[in-house]
Amino acid sequence: MSAALGIATRSLRNIRRLPSAFIPALLMPVFQVVSFSGTYSGVTQMPGFPTDRSVNWYLPMAVTMGASFAGLGTGFSMIRDLQTGFYDRLRMAPTSRRQLLLGPYIAAWVRACIAVVLVTLVGFALGARPVGNGLGTFSLFIAGLGMATIGTGWGLGLAYRFRDMRAAAIMQLTLFLGLFLTDAQTPIEVMDGWLEFVARWNPLTRVLHVARIGFVDGIGGADLLIGIVVIVLASVGAWAFAFTGLGRLDD
Amino acid sequence: MSSTTQSPIVARDLVRTFGSGDDEVRAVDGVNLEVAAGEVFGFLGPNGAGKSTTVRILTTLLKASGGSASVAGFDITTEADAVRRSIGVALQDAAIDPLMTGTELLRLQAVLYGIPRQSQSERAGELLERVGLSAAGDRRVGTYSGGMRRRLDLALALIHEPTVLFLDEPTTGLDPMSRMSLWEEIRRLNNDGTTVLLTTQYLEEADQLADRVAIIDNGKIVREGRPEALKTDVGAPTLLISVSDDHTAAAREVLAEFGDARPTAEGTLGVGLTQGAGDVSNVVRALDAKGIAVDHLELRAPSLDDVFAEATGHRLEGAS
Repeated sequence: MSAALGIATRSLRNIRRLPSAFIPALLMPVFQVVSFSGTYSGVTQMPGFPTDRSVNWYLPMAVTMGASFAGLGTGFSMIRDLQTGFYDRLRMAPTSRRQLLLGPYIAAWVRACIAVVLVTLVGFALGARPVGNGLGTFSLFIAGLGMATIGTGWGLGLAYRFRDMRAAAIMQLTLFLGLFLTDAQTPIEVMDGWLEFVARWNPLTRVLHVARIGFVDGIGGADLLIGIVVIVLASVGAWAFAFTGLGRLDD
Repeated sequence: MSSTTQSPIVARDLVRTFGSGDDEVRAVDGVNLEVAAGEVFGFLGPNGAGKSTTVRILTTLLKASGGSASVAGFDITTEADAVRRSIGVALQDAAIDPLMTGTELLRLQAVLYGIPRQSQSERAGELLERVGLSAAGDRRVGTYSGGMRRRLDLALALIHEPTVLFLDEPTTGLDPMSRMSLWEEIRRLNNDGTTVLLTTQYLEEADQLADRVAIIDNGKIVREGRPEALKTDVGAPTLLISVSDDHTAAAREVLAEFGDARPTAEGTLGVGLTQGAGDVSNVVRALDAKGIAVDHLELRAPSLDDVFAEATGHRLEGAS
């Protein structure tokens, strides 16, 4: 475990030393919650819209987006380490491959916590208010950490396979496609055609429901359960994708 | 098998290919080598010869396409973790994070090698002192010179006191002073009993440091032995001359009477003097008799470059 913590510490220290690599990923979701909740404030007028506060609808989206960026950020860092050869140093150490993977995951979770807290605070400052007993805020964190876990595995797996900036392009493209082809912006009920079909079956829609459960009406315990199962399965799949990618570096 | 198991580095028919079909490249093509305990083994060859690929295989960074190898008595494929625990490696590009300080890097390396927390700082301090970087330990590596980076890289490779050390072109790009300083450190390590496999494209480096050298070209080892023995095998000294362009062909004909042509840098002609150094005056007289003015003349005792040239038909990049 100490090797994973050492790798994570180095990664987190570099945030302070190279802030330009982290701050944009932090500001993007802040910008989203500010702009979306302001620009689309009228969305709450739609019949049956599950909240009367637009920020309650867009805050979970921004949080999951920010947490995903935190995960993908480790993928970007990995590309740099692979290209400079620094990662060879880690691979040559008698450290289990699991610890080599766990290090970036720990760093991503810390980065995700920073993003989730900041975006949530901004959301509250803009008027977001939890519904019910407030425990839903906890599920917002669960969803955020889940997205960071999925994003980290996906980002690392791509970085290990491509070993250059092509991986970064694919990471960003797939993240945006994955998240925007959900009900991130409008409820599924008002969507039409293929968009509605894709959003309904996109697993990330289920993750968003976990994030939203404490902020909008109409999402129940079954949605929470399904969402958590999706997070667990996707996280395991992403870890496996990263782990097999790490093995490919020897080829 | 007994000598094999006791030798710290053994490779048998090692092969590594990249690509497939018509695009297949055999970067390492049946390499056999055996490095004895306490030896400095020089792996000499031009860029792209297969040196670094061989080192990456032996240090478990890359899988071999064929053959087998053991390092420190452990199989590189089935006992990779044990190999990693036993070796220190400084790779060609001194891959160190410029955002970290020297001390931070050494501590991270100590963590990766399982050195107890309470010993990490002490070990980092010892190594920084050993490589002359104590004063720079708290500076970010990005501010280090090339020589300082190489020395730090060496210190990182030594964090767990390995018995086998791989140095992949450790002095490439360094100024002469930094190079000499690193050579001293390598000698000191070897005197302490560390087995060293050193890749280099510098003849002088191999000559100065290596107990034995293997010359590799196009993925194959073409000569192997003690530097002095290899040079003796080449035999004849090389006479190098420069003449004006319009006399080149005539000069070549004259030189052919005194021995075999030797590969040289462009603008120079070379001949291995079959009768030895005593023939120099005869060559000069023969050239003079043909009216060929010699701009430059140099007699060289056989060098590793001659060994390389004799074995491969061409000279090492950058060597004259």
